[in-house]
Amino acid sequence: MGKKKQEMAQVYSNSNNEFIFGENGGRGKHLSSFLKNLSLTGSSASKSPSSSTKPDDYQEANSNIYGSLAWGAPKGTGGMPRGVSNSGSIISSSLKRTPTQRSVSLGTPSAHRSPTREEYTKTPGSSSRRRSQSNSRYADLDDDWDAGLDEVSVVPKQPENRNFPMLDSLYPDLTLPSASSSTSNLESPKKESMDFEDYQAKLEINKLNQLNSKYSKFRKVLTTDSSINLQDLRKLAWNGIPPELRALTWQILLGYLPTNKSRQRSTLKRKRQEYMEGIEAVANIDFEDDAPSNTSSTSIGTNREKQLYHQINIDVKRTHPTIKLYSFPEVQLSLRKILYLWAVRHPASGYVQGINDLCTPFFQIFLGHYLWQLQRKASIQKQGNEAEEDLFIQGLMDDTDTAEQALLQDPRLGDYTIDTFNPKLISSRVLSLIEADTYWCLSRLLENITDNYIHEQPGILRQVGDLKNLISRIDIELLNHFDHEGIEFIQFAFRWMNCLLMREVSINLITRMWDTYLSETPLGFNNFHVYVCAAFLVKFSSELKHMDFQEILLFLQNPPTQSWTEKDVELMLSEAFIWQSLYKNASAHLRN
Amino acid sequence: MSFPNPATSVKLVLLGEAAVGKSSLVLRFVSNDFQENKEPTIGAAFLTQKCTIGERTIKYEIWDTAGQERFALLAPMYYRNAQAALVVYDITKPASFIKARHWVKELHEQASKDITIALVGNKFDLVEDDEEDSLRKVSVEEGQNLAEEEGLLFFETSAKTSYNVNEVFIGIGSKIPDSSANQPEAIRENNQGRIDLTSNNASGGSSGSGDCAC
Ligand SMILES: Nc1nc2c(ncn2[C@@H]2O[C@H](COP(=O)(O)OP(=O)(O)OP(=O)(O)O)[C@@H](O)[C@H]2O)c(=O)[nH]1
Ligand SMILES: [Mg+2]
Repeated sequence: MGKKKQEMAQVYSNSNNEFIFGENGGRGKHLSSFLKNLSLTGSSASKSPSSSTKPDDYQEANSNIYGSLAWGAPKGTGGMPRGVSNSGSIISSSLKRTPTQRSVSLGTPSAHRSPTREEYTKTPGSSSRRRSQSNSRYADLDDDWDAGLDEVSVVPKQPENRNFPMLDSLYPDLTLPSASSSTSNLESPKKESMDFEDYQAKLEINKLNQLNSKYSKFRKVLTTDSSINLQDLRKLAWNGIPPELRALTWQILLGYLPTNKSRQRSTLKRKRQEYMEGIEAVANIDFEDDAPSNTSSTSIGTNREKQLYHQINIDVKRTHPTIKLYSFPEVQLSLRKILYLWAVRHPASGYVQGINDLCTPFFQIFLGHYLWQLQRKASIQKQGNEAEEDLFIQGLMDDTDTAEQALLQDPRLGDYTIDTFNPKLISSRVLSLIEADTYWCLSRLLENITDNYIHEQPGILRQVGDLKNLISRIDIELLNHFDHEGIEFIQFAFRWMNCLLMREVSINLITRMWDTYLSETPLGFNNFHVYVCAAFLVKFSSELKHMDFQEILLFLQNPPTQSWTEKDVELMLSEAFIWQSLYKNASAHLRN
Repeated sequence: MSFPNPATSVKLVLLGEAAVGKSSLVLRFVSNDFQENKEPTIGAAFLTQKCTIGERTIKYEIWDTAGQERFALLAPMYYRNAQAALVVYDITKPASFIKARHWVKELHEQASKDITIALVGNKFDLVEDDEEDSLRKVSVEEGQNLAEEEGLLFFETSAKTSYNVNEVFIGIGSKIPDSSANQPEAIRENNQGRIDLTSNNASGGSSGSGDCAC
């Protein structure tokens, strides 16, 4: 109740939009001073006397890490080249490799040899002696996926005991050839030593088995105990959540659903109620009106409210214009309510373009979850299958809901997906529950990045600076090339931060990325995201280095991710993870 | 005439309230296309397009900025070195015209002194068949007056029907003096647009869209 009061107390009062954070927009630096700093950071990063490490050392450490990953992965995988700028080449070369080949030459000009086992056991020690500050961080890597967790031991284990859960799911996928490889033929041996089709069939089976066991692992964590072990759940979820369990898992990881299962139902009930009350409290907005004019005299809100609603309305219409779901008036109505309520309750930021994008993964995953519940229920009724109701988010189903009963009888129910489903078929009751859940989850997410949307957007400016810093360590050549061409990071990376790469990567892959973001502690939407952006940029490094100013901007505005699959994203996430482990302390140190 | 003139590069920035149709105008100009629901621009988008005006070929390097107030702090970065600016409003939204006034003022105060500015009232299609002009909220005269006072080119356009869109860019191109736009490399490196004091935009005669036959 105390919390509720506090949140309700933030309700918009017609005062200055920025009051919470003070006159100057709080902690924000002025843009001009930021830009000045931005141009300084690149060089000061490597010259700073307090940083004893030259970029080369980092790069060396980098290649060691890649080598270690390759070594720790099941037999047959090659090392990832430093900077993994061409995933295609790794993949195809690893296909042709025999399990005994440890030391592999990769065809990229900057390729480093994967360290052999002996080298591997030596290198971590020597490099950490040089860089004592990141020593523990580095050792953590071998320990677990979640090096950021406090309770993870930093005592190095015997190599034989080391495992890489992060790669458990990555490994089989890494060996699939990528369609977009341009240089793979340069280094591939000419003769095909393996029957490719056999190999693929094997992979398929592997993958199915893995999905199955993944599902049961999640099931176990989610249902066995009366209180869900968050650590275990994070650990699993980092590598991707089965679609059916995504909604439930996300809500738990966000802390929206309590881990104590006996408290889930009541919490949901209270939160949903609170949302409905919040919507009722903004009585002066007619959410049904999707063509408001910001000057219309009929509505009774203040100018500021009308302006806000107008902005949200025009953006909701322009949200995911290519996805059918978002063209339905029912869905647009829901988004308008969610965004408006969030904006009036958070006057320091208010509504900022891009937030409309951020609420959509929640909305569609939760809607999809309701569909799944219906499908499960219908299939028990027909075939007496196991209900799995212990994996349902509670309170969505209601026997008295006529729309729901109709859907349960609908012969096409089993075929409905988020992409084909007509949201008119579900009741407004369910829609408002999904809205409420979306609202609270969006709020939780945004709590982590409030600085991104307040006056002058200091969070974004910092992230853009951090990204540049990071690139100066990971790929100094790319940074130099950008400098030479006059590219400013803010010109392309602003959007990456403001929309969390949602404009660059398709929503299905974004949901996969969020599995990992939500498993990071603290949540990955702030700092971890910067490492992901670095991995994203460096992926295209070799192409970018041959482009001029205009080509670079045009390329980065429309990066070739259309053909991406989950493995591209997972590779990017693992790289981000590695870099975070390597540079986390260093970057905080440099900034202050 | 066997040697085509080398293209002169012109840096152009679009400013204006959210959803007035900046991105749509650029999309029409660059790809001759229109999308009913275009995603809001975040930060700014970069595009290029060539345009031949008589003997001259102009290559526009376009920064299409985001209209929302929150992003307005980024705008100076984009108009700082611009040689041309389109200040866009929606003729059915009076608030967007007020915003346009502000942008013109800011450009005159902060941007390069010889910047060529066009004031563009967009969404003309909405009032085209509208007998009583009930949707139109900003009259042609209001637009024209502002343009005359401030020494701007003035157009009413529709990104949807493509009415007058090319004319805007041709109009701008014809006003850009050859000398200020002939060395693309030099321009990019040159951050001192303000040093040029040849202030020639105060003289009138620049309004109206009559000189855009092509
Ligand atoms: N009827 C009509 N609609 C238009 C016209 N130009 C743009 N629109 C519509 O107006 C909406 C906003 O257009 P955008 O081009 O995205 O506007 P913008 O100024 O770039 O907006 P921000 O990027 O948010 O600053 C879209 O739904 C367009 O389809 C026009 O000439 N006529
Ligand atoms: Mg736009």
